[in-house]
Amino acid sequence: MSKTFDRFAGIAFLLIGLLFIIESQRISQSSYGSAVGPDIFPIGLGAVLVLLSLRLLYETFRYQSDTQKGELILYKKFLVIFISALLYAALLEPLGYVITTFAFLLVAFQTMERGKWIKSIVIAGLFSFGVYYFFAEFLGGSLPGFPVFL
Amino acid sequence: MNTIQFLMDGFSIAFQWQNILFAFVGVLIGTAVGVLPGIGPMSGVALLIPVTATLTAGLPTEAAAASSIILLAGVYYGAMYGGSTTSILLNTPGESSSVVTTLDGYQMAKQGRAGSALSIAAIGSFAAGIISLIGLVLLAEPLSNVALQFGPAEYFSLMLLGLAAVSGLAGKSMTKALMMTVFGLMLGTIGIDAVSGIARFTYDIPVLYSGLEFLTIAVGLFALGEVFKTVLERDHEDGTMAKIGRILPTRKDLKESAAPIMRGSFLGFFIGVLPGAGATLASFFSYIGEKKFSKTPEQFGKGAIAGVAGPEAANNAASGGAMIPLLTLGIPGSGTTAILMGALIMYNIQPGPLLFDDHPEVAWGLIASMFVGNLMLLVLNMPLVKVFAKIIQTPKKYLLPIIIAISFFGVYAVQYTTFDLYLLLACGVLGYLLTRNDFPVAPLVLALVLGPMIENNMRRALTISNGDFSTFVTNPISLALLIVAAAWLLVPLLLKLKGRSVVLNEEG
Repeated sequence: MSKTFDRFAGIAFLLIGLLFIIESQRISQSSYGSAVGPDIFPIGLGAVLVLLSLRLLYETFRYQSDTQKGELILYKKFLVIFISALLYAALLEPLGYVITTFAFLLVAFQTMERGKWIKSIVIAGLFSFGVYYFFAEFLGGSLPGFPVFL
Repeated sequence: MNTIQFLMDGFSIAFQWQNILFAFVGVLIGTAVGVLPGIGPMSGVALLIPVTATLTAGLPTEAAAASSIILLAGVYYGAMYGGSTTSILLNTPGESSSVVTTLDGYQMAKQGRAGSALSIAAIGSFAAGIISLIGLVLLAEPLSNVALQFGPAEYFSLMLLGLAAVSGLAGKSMTKALMMTVFGLMLGTIGIDAVSGIARFTYDIPVLYSGLEFLTIAVGLFALGEVFKTVLERDHEDGTMAKIGRILPTRKDLKESAAPIMRGSFLGFFIGVLPGAGATLASFFSYIGEKKFSKTPEQFGKGAIAGVAGPEAANNAASGGAMIPLLTLGIPGSGTTAILMGALIMYNIQPGPLLFDDHPEVAWGLIASMFVGNLMLLVLNMPLVKVFAKIIQTPKKYLLPIIIAISFFGVYAVQYTTFDLYLLLACGVLGYLLTRNDFPVAPLVLALVLGPMIENNMRRALTISNGDFSTFVTNPISLALLIVAAAWLLVPLLLKLKGRSVVLNEEG
């Protein structure tokens, strides 16, 4: 566990808790005629989260930070895959399922390990076409297939 | 109608051709999920929910729910069978519930007895599966009858107990586990309030009105979180795989493992029924127990067959036992059962005491299909274990991107919004960061599923009592449940203060 992360998480959750309490005040009163409106539960939760976050912050001052784990962190690979996943999400509707899935898989396969283009293309192609035809054509599900202009 | 009759009706549903197929696909995928390190039963079940939702789209709601839950439960208990394969052959557990199986299983494989270890694991799992199902059949009616007497105050306390149990045993820090629970409950309040119809925390964003979809969050936190972890932290390369050899166990092996299997089954079943304690804990206790019972405890760790048979039986029995609180009380005891419950709710079927009255075909169909599924698993895991062992060699570079693509497909096919895809990715990053820093995510998912129900019951109880909070402690059953919940959180704390090491359930 990392002390910095725990402190950061403690503060972040503290703020979330506070925000919840404040924002709960703005929930409109119900006409339901009960003393227990829709705001009681969120306010209570916010308060508990604030207390727990304080407790976590207190704990971070008590324990010794562990030595760094000697793991190799491959940020670059992750960022490429994550950004292509974001693009995949953004382009899924305009470009359709088959093209975006194929492109995403190809990029991701090549990021994981370069080379063997033909195998990557075949697997990406089989997956994107296979899922689309099985789901949209065979099962009658609905997926944006291809862009409108094709 | 009596239990036998209900069970027979259940079998007539389980033997419909599409349900046999669903059970088969479920246990097949479950075994694969169990074999593949990196995908646990939780992500496996979560990923398959959208697929089953489409597969059953043409059926009437109840039949669709029965078929889906048959498949999804198959994945759950199928994973318990598959998890042992990698433990024995590679010394890497496929699931956290088969960690202890590595101790003796891998030693047996090194001595050339891999086949015996695998087949004993399968036989033990089968026996345990059947025993826990008989327990489920016997306990289902009486327990749901008790639960029918419960009012909103009792329900509120019971669910609080469920949350306390899972948080108390999850992860290294209870503060963090409780924070995750509360955060999950908070996420559950987003959307239109079911009681008053007032929108909460939606800020006029249309996609938020229906609340955050639990499926998106579960898939993101578990499946994507795990994928991101493997991408970021290169795992050490897989070791060499042991040869399997002859599959049938010798008569001596069978004789030595019969008693551990029986003990493991009963122990696992009762641990499984308890909320919070799951298959991992059950297999762990069974191993310790077998070592105590054994006449030759020095053999343990060097390839004792009892050290494989007992824990494998226990983890399977626990997965059967865990179905009891889910089906009869409507309270999931673990992350995976929380996801199963979410799946049932998606079909507008509320697990709980009324399930056996309102939707007998779902409840009994599921129970009957679990008998069928366990039989299929025995067949799959004995002769075909060599085929499954091949799955282990699926290269990660193809597997990981495909898991991302399946998650995208699954979420989009159910939700049809790009918002959910972004939420999915965000949850993936969050899941990775939280898990890496010992914030357990299973309580979050459990809280997200239970949150709306807890709130509704709390408000109903308070409405009945005119806003008097003492209703929760003046009601005897509710008070007892609250005391147990408090004890669940306090006892581990006290033990820790005394310097005792506390067994943790990392399965989720």
